[in-house]
Amino acid sequence: MNWSDLGTVAPVIAAVLTAAAVLIVDFAAPGRRAPAIATALAGLAVVALTIVSLSGHRETAFGGSYSLDNLTTFLDLLFVAIAALTILFAHDYLEPRHLPIAEFAAILIFAVTGGMLVAASADLLLLFVALELMVLPGYLLAGFAKNDPYSTEGAIKYFLLGSFSSAILLFGLAYVWGITGSTRVDVVAAALANVVATGSIQPGLAMGLAFMTTGVAFKMAAVPFHYWTPDAYQGSPTPVTAYLSVGPKVGAFAIALRLFVGALGPLKADWLPIVIVLAALTMTLGNLVAITQDNVKRMLAYSSIAHTGYILVGLAAYAGGQHSGIAAILFYGAAYTFMNMGAFAVVTAVQRRPGVSSQISTFAGLGRRDPWLGALLALFLLSLTGIPPLAGFWAKAYVIVAAIQAGGWLTALAVLAMLNAAAAAFYYLRVVVYMYMREPAEAAAPLSPGLLFRVGLAVTGIMTVIFGLFPAIQEMASRAADVLRG
Amino acid sequence: MSGLPILSLITFTPLLGALLIAFLPSSQPNLIRRVALGTALATWVLSLILFVAFTSQQAGFQFKEAADWIPSFGIQYKVGVDGISLLMVLLTTTLTWISILASFGPIKDRVKGYMVSFLVLEVGMIGVFVALDLFLFYIFWEIVLVPMYLIIGIWGGANRIYATMKFVLYTLVGSLLMLVAIMATAFAFQAAHGSWAGAFDFEQLQRFAASGSFGNNFQLLAFLALFLAFAIKVPMFPFHTWLPDAHTEAPTAGSVILAGVLLKLGAYGLIRFAVPLFPYAAHTFAWPIIVLSVIAIVYGAIVSIVQPDLKRLIAYSSVSHMGFVTLGIFVFTAPALQGAILQMINHGLITGGLFLLVGVVYERTHDRSIAKMGGLAAVMPLWSTVFGFFILASAGLPGLSGFVGEFLVFVGSFTYAPAIAVASIIVMVLAATYLLWMFQRVAFGPVSDFLSGLGDRLTDMSRVEFMTLAPLAALIVVLGLFPSLVLDLLNGPVQTFLAAAGVAVGG
Repeated sequence: MNWSDLGTVAPVIAAVLTAAAVLIVDFAAPGRRAPAIATALAGLAVVALTIVSLSGHRETAFGGSYSLDNLTTFLDLLFVAIAALTILFAHDYLEPRHLPIAEFAAILIFAVTGGMLVAASADLLLLFVALELMVLPGYLLAGFAKNDPYSTEGAIKYFLLGSFSSAILLFGLAYVWGITGSTRVDVVAAALANVVATGSIQPGLAMGLAFMTTGVAFKMAAVPFHYWTPDAYQGSPTPVTAYLSVGPKVGAFAIALRLFVGALGPLKADWLPIVIVLAALTMTLGNLVAITQDNVKRMLAYSSIAHTGYILVGLAAYAGGQHSGIAAILFYGAAYTFMNMGAFAVVTAVQRRPGVSSQISTFAGLGRRDPWLGALLALFLLSLTGIPPLAGFWAKAYVIVAAIQAGGWLTALAVLAMLNAAAAAFYYLRVVVYMYMREPAEAAAPLSPGLLFRVGLAVTGIMTVIFGLFPAIQEMASRAADVLRG
Repeated sequence: MSGLPILSLITFTPLLGALLIAFLPSSQPNLIRRVALGTALATWVLSLILFVAFTSQQAGFQFKEAADWIPSFGIQYKVGVDGISLLMVLLTTTLTWISILASFGPIKDRVKGYMVSFLVLEVGMIGVFVALDLFLFYIFWEIVLVPMYLIIGIWGGANRIYATMKFVLYTLVGSLLMLVAIMATAFAFQAAHGSWAGAFDFEQLQRFAASGSFGNNFQLLAFLALFLAFAIKVPMFPFHTWLPDAHTEAPTAGSVILAGVLLKLGAYGLIRFAVPLFPYAAHTFAWPIIVLSVIAIVYGAIVSIVQPDLKRLIAYSSVSHMGFVTLGIFVFTAPALQGAILQMINHGLITGGLFLLVGVVYERTHDRSIAKMGGLAAVMPLWSTVFGFFILASAGLPGLSGFVGEFLVFVGSFTYAPAIAVASIIVMVLAATYLLWMFQRVAFGPVSDFLSGLGDRLTDMSRVEFMTLAPLAALIVVLGLFPSLVLDLLNGPVQTFLAAAGVAVGG
């Protein structure tokens, strides 16, 4: 290591310092919410600035295990946005329930730091450590409402299955190390290219591949490795659910990009069929189960599984020979972040008073009760459905175009994805039906979300509208994807 | 291309109006109504200017505007009009302001949301007709869906939620498959040219198609996907089942726009995109489509006879009338296609008028069942006269516009296959049966107990209501006497269409 390495990893350092600063501020002024929130947001702004100031660089640090490139920049910015939005939305939920915001923000920022490290991993060992740094705080967050048995139950399920899957992934990584003799992504890729060139892959590698796929599929919540998701999502405090539905998901796809595309790229013909099957199962089952849900949070949880399936179509398109599949994954991840966090935010606002459930009947007449929140939730749901010109439409369009370009079985997968999108319209629009076409059960008071909350909603709302209309974001995703071009 | 971007102006004026209304206080419904009407009228005036400035004998698209949008995929913002799209734009802008005016009375609840939805709907509809980029077309196509979903679902009748979900899901399945087809088409172009530039550009794709560059198998698949989307929207038998529900449950103005414009989107898509881009597939599937069209014509007419509900009857008659349109498209002769396009306009004017008239009665009686009516001619003489006029127009009385369109389709399809023409002529008798019988039951005879029970509430048409119908009636007469007004605009586009569709016939 040399001192210039510290400059390269400046965003990560800034993030760790931010989390520490939040704890220190809380220690200095215990129980005060405003200073903690201000520190967290200011710190995240600094992190964002360091990321932007390093954008366009392409260098490695710490002996080549940390890679700073356009992909890192893209994902880092996304993680910072996720953290900032979660904090903006969390305040309105935590305060009435007397849950501390400082710990929440600090744990969250640690988790996001893990995500940023995953995004930058050029070494399988760092990848694993970063992954653990990302998910361990996630378990804490899931159980954040520690007096709520559902929250605890969800957290325990999440923790058990999460650590189990981490172990499986690690086991798979060990096989790869055993066969290639290295944990460095580029060395592994070169060695595997050699293996592929000299003939078929040996059983050990196949087992390693199976373990790694299983581990990553757990993290992504791909069917049939999704069982932890609905309970963890429903039990968690709603702002945590919002975070869990995007943060670890983007993280899991960051792993997929660094591990499967970066290191295991040469084997893509071998993992392509698995990804196709996973994608088909994930989107179809996620949608079918989401249709039957009467709880909006649980519905969004299952629909998040379906969205994992759509993103997997992008990965399959890459494996099918279309590099544009990667840009599609990145674009999808970013678009999904904003629209899904927005949707969860409105659920948070509806549940601001403790004891309000997230049953779909709670949303009856929301359009009349609070026209702005109603309109925004409708916007997010339409975007999740994939109605143009909103963000979700472009995300699906880019994935589909990559899949069609790859041809063969992937065209069939693209058609399946579209049929799924049509089915998804049913359960997303059902919420709109309740909001606009039914009257509230009793005379419910208007919701009055706080200022921070409104800022967050404005950001997600604006992003959902403009995301696809300006080609800049798609180009940014393309540049990030170019990093992985072999 | 010079000067004012008039097509963009026409397309986005309603959006401006919608934004303006969004910021008006909902406590002032009258102001909102006036702004909405003013916006729709301004859009209409702009479209009339377009009509005047349009050069009718010129081939190709006019008033083109193009700008790169997403260069990495060659997606453009590209619009332009030919005779067909010009007529469709005029139909849209006319029916929109009439619908908005007709909503002044009936819509009392959530006026703001209603007017915003209506104006956004107009943006989508106009956009579909002017888009010359397939991706842009798709976006406008889907934009149409959301406001109509809300209009039926919020302001519709008792069974509105079922109807609106059915409408959305049917349309969405078709349109998402269409998206796959559009992408596959663009990719075929990209693969041949090695670049995305122009891959979604309709004019370039058409040249590409004219050179026979889409493989036959590809054409069959892509055409089927597009056809399904358009056929659901038209709607063709057997994809029509969403229509009676949606038309019946929608508020009056929603039914007017559904019948008047939304159904035309499907037919327009077939004429503009599906056939010219994939002529081989269009010819391969022509027979099955013609058979389905004839089934729709006959089936729609027969089912109309037994409908107990006024709106449902008109809805099923739409299935029958739109069957003439698809028939006219797929027999590939000039008169038939001209007839089909004329029929699209006629159907918009006549059925739009019929729905408005049913709305007038519904406003007073809150009922639409034919059995409860009777003797309306005695209590509402003006209404009955106008209703009779539209009934005769719908039945295809010579001298009114409905006749010309159907006649041209007969002539065009007779040269193609006389049996089809004969089968469809029989339907004219059926049409006269169900329309006149319905009219007789509603307007003549003694005043029914139900109606006399309403007493003074059963007033004749108001002046505003008459104002919404007069322009439609005038257009029906004018187009019936001078169909050349429309047909002159169609010569160029029809020749272009036949040339594009003819590629496969020759080779």
